[in-house]
Amino acid sequence: MNTMSNVKRSLVAAVCIALGVVLPMAFHSVKNAGSIFCPMHIPVLLCGLVDGWAFGLLCGLVTPLLSSLLTGMPPMAYLPAMMIELAVYGLVSALMMQFVHTKRLYADLYLSLVVSLVAGRIIAGAAKALIFAAGKYSMTAWMTGYFVTCLPGLIIQIILVPSIIVALMKARLIPNRYPVHE
Amino acid sequence: MKDLLVGRFIPGKSLLYQLDARVKLVSLLLLLLAIIMAETARQYLLLLGAIGMILVLSAIPVRAALGSLVRMWQFFLIVFLMNAFFFTDANPLWTWGIFHLSFQGLAQGANVVVRILLVMVLSNILTCTTAPMEITFAGERLLRPLGCLHVPVEEVAMIVSVAIQFIPILGEEAQMIRKAQIARGARFESKNLLERATSLFPLVIPLFLAAFRRADELSLAMEARGYKNARERTRKRPEPLHAKDYLFLGSILLLSLFSVSIRG
Repeated sequence: MNTMSNVKRSLVAAVCIALGVVLPMAFHSVKNAGSIFCPMHIPVLLCGLVDGWAFGLLCGLVTPLLSSLLTGMPPMAYLPAMMIELAVYGLVSALMMQFVHTKRLYADLYLSLVVSLVAGRIIAGAAKALIFAAGKYSMTAWMTGYFVTCLPGLIIQIILVPSIIVALMKARLIPNRYPVHE
Repeated sequence: MKDLLVGRFIPGKSLLYQLDARVKLVSLLLLLLAIIMAETARQYLLLLGAIGMILVLSAIPVRAALGSLVRMWQFFLIVFLMNAFFFTDANPLWTWGIFHLSFQGLAQGANVVVRILLVMVLSNILTCTTAPMEITFAGERLLRPLGCLHVPVEEVAMIVSVAIQFIPILGEEAQMIRKAQIARGARFESKNLLERATSLFPLVIPLFLAAFRRADELSLAMEARGYKNARERTRKRPEPLHAKDYLFLGSILLLSLFSVSIRG
């Protein structure tokens, strides 16, 4: 995954940011799908797994900001915590892919995904508890908001993101992580 | 999705449209700071009056600036109630289990809601009177000093500008894919949550493939034309600021300072 040119990496980050704005719009056409399935997280996780830590971090920071400016979602009150959460997703997923090499694609992907999803939720929860809602944010609220309500979204992300990456590799749009030499 | 062609930008010719995008961005930041530091009714009234005047100067329909706020009334109610009922005070008006209602709690709830409202109205006015590309270029010019710290500001601006231009293209792509999948029997409107979830797979995967294909083609086209990195790009020299830009910025700065000074 390290043989894309810098120009292509930049453009992959750009399309992931654009998808982070478009996907929630497509999901919102299905009632209640947006808040349950967390569609904005998918392109950010993908960008981190495919594009490296710098672009993953940028995608995580810019996507919710641009979406908020252009479509009004997420509302400004939720924006800082969401920017932190998605930035951590993009950063941690990329770092995990950089340092974890099990020689099996799916193992690398699932490990990186799970660690980044948990890390993002922990850090976003800590930011809410210490900064954005200091003294008013409880463990129960954190568990409910980040694990119970979004459980279908978590499952969808864990199933969908590796599927998308494998589809992109088969279409030769991104380099194979473990190329098979014939 | 067609609205995404220009975000929420409404073409116009009023004074606010003629101001430089950099001035509008800096003014927004100054007013945001003033709103965050506001605590008294006097400050809120002053800021409300200022935002009202900016709205008049913009000449945009009131519905454009305030429409989204009305749709979010449930969100504001929840924020108000959460602050009002969970604020810890020595002399609550009413207590029941974990719920404590007090004057301080009600004031805190009102404080938070009014701040959110003012911030949202200001950002609505900015996005309605400034094209997304202008906001991007203004952000790039304002953040250029960060280049001394080796932050790739030009590259970030290029990525954001390409992303903005891709949004309507990918929006149309998503619509086409959705209609094609409906023709193949996908049930996006099903009331069953599992059916709804599985119907999203045939939308998302082709959409990502189409998006990455476009990125691949665009990168080949750019590299074939000699593009290496954003720092080597030539750009049009930005227009200098005019008297009305300095006047507007100066007024906002004085207003923000005055608002902070009457805090006590």
